[in-house]
Amino acid sequence: MITRRILISLPMILAVYIFQEAIISQFRFLGGGFSLFLIFSLIWAVLSLPEVAALIGFFAGVLMDISPSSSGPMGQWAIIMIAACYAISYFGAGNESLASNPLGVTILISIVVFFLEFTYVATSALLGVQSGVFSHIILTIAGITLWTLIVTPIFLPIFSRLHGLAFDKESSI
Amino acid sequence: MRKGGEARTRLLLITLIVTALFLITLDLRGVGLLSSARQGTQTILSPFQRAGNVALTPFKNFLSDVTHLGRSRSQIEGLQSDNAKLKALLLTRGNADAQLSQLKSILDLAGTAGYKIVNARVISQGSNQSFSQVITIDAGTKAGIKTNMTVISQSGITGVVKEVFSNSAIILLATDPAFRVGVRIAGSQQIGILQGRGSSVASLQLLDNQTSVKVGDILLSRGSVANRPFVPGVPVGYVTAVDNSAGAIAQSASVKLYTDFSILGVVAVVVAAPSINPGDALVPAKPQPTPAPTVTIYVTPSPTPTN
Repeated sequence: MITRRILISLPMILAVYIFQEAIISQFRFLGGGFSLFLIFSLIWAVLSLPEVAALIGFFAGVLMDISPSSSGPMGQWAIIMIAACYAISYFGAGNESLASNPLGVTILISIVVFFLEFTYVATSALLGVQSGVFSHIILTIAGITLWTLIVTPIFLPIFSRLHGLAFDKESSI
Repeated sequence: MRKGGEARTRLLLITLIVTALFLITLDLRGVGLLSSARQGTQTILSPFQRAGNVALTPFKNFLSDVTHLGRSRSQIEGLQSDNAKLKALLLTRGNADAQLSQLKSILDLAGTAGYKIVNARVISQGSNQSFSQVITIDAGTKAGIKTNMTVISQSGITGVVKEVFSNSAIILLATDPAFRVGVRIAGSQQIGILQGRGSSVASLQLLDNQTSVKVGDILLSRGSVANRPFVPGVPVGYVTAVDNSAGAIAQSASVKLYTDFSILGVVAVVVAAPSINPGDALVPAKPQPTPAPTVTIYVTPSPTPTN
């Protein structure tokens, strides 16, 4: 069952990844912009079982690591995304009112994105990768979180329906 | 059953985390397989990025127009009716003209110094998610581009070639915190290290504590051994603020970079530098203030006083 779910999810993850790299990255947004791929992965994870979410996190993280614009070592995003996707799915699975509430999911994803970026900077510092001056980092993280808060409600119904269609079940959001 | 499920989840999590740690270790040890994975990804993504760039150019132009509305609103409103028809006609032409203008300026800059350059269009702006400031250009090894080559724009240094593929290359912008370039001050020839700070303002650290820098000083690249990664004489920026902290070993300063990173459409990669250092030949001319019109009034006293 998990294999089937992963096999269905992977092409979608790849499609959104290509969309992110080919279309979204054409724009330079104020305050750092947003990653549709990150938002998709987290929404997909919150709608999935924790096991599937961890695997999705791993694949999404590896894709982010092999992105040509990524500056960290291979595996850095993977480890962060495994933890984030598993955690977000675990919270979602354990709290039905949260997982089926669009506002709750939006806020949850924005908070997770904030912590993801913060963790990325912290692990980059541990691994000796420079991320810039403190004020710029703070502004970028705040910008990305704000953009996520704005963009997630727009794409949440689409990704939720897509998830429902892919796994033959009613959209929960 | 429940216990079995939990154990399986735990095993899966441990396996995934160990795999990720394994990847990090391999990468930090410099295993080539992983860097070629990034190269492969760029090779696959490059056609999509080109297509995306072509498809989105009119939309990006429109967005650019919208974002610049506030700056000269009154002027735009006055010209709006006259320009409406022309804008529609020039929508596609506008981008080509802008790129042509950028290209002409780059050629002027490169021609003055005698640099041999390869021009390229920017096909992707990179992502800020990883806190790196990079762009992707549509020229690579087939055009003679190699890693660690200087990249210039119409007004000065843009960055350095970070990675190169057959038909594309990743450029580390001068705004990236990992970017460093040896610079000298035009005229006084004092040297220092310039580092990106994530914005159009970079920081300069002078190397000699006996020298000083002042606001308005122009910085040029100092050049590297065999001209890689940096060729000498490229304008970098000008000093906007000087930090005179008493505890500092040498003076530091804030530098406004010449390149406008928000409008990068065309850039040039310097593939060969002249044997003679261009020195200060590329120092940009200081803007000439427009003279204020003076009105002279001649008063001729009337021969007979009135009343």
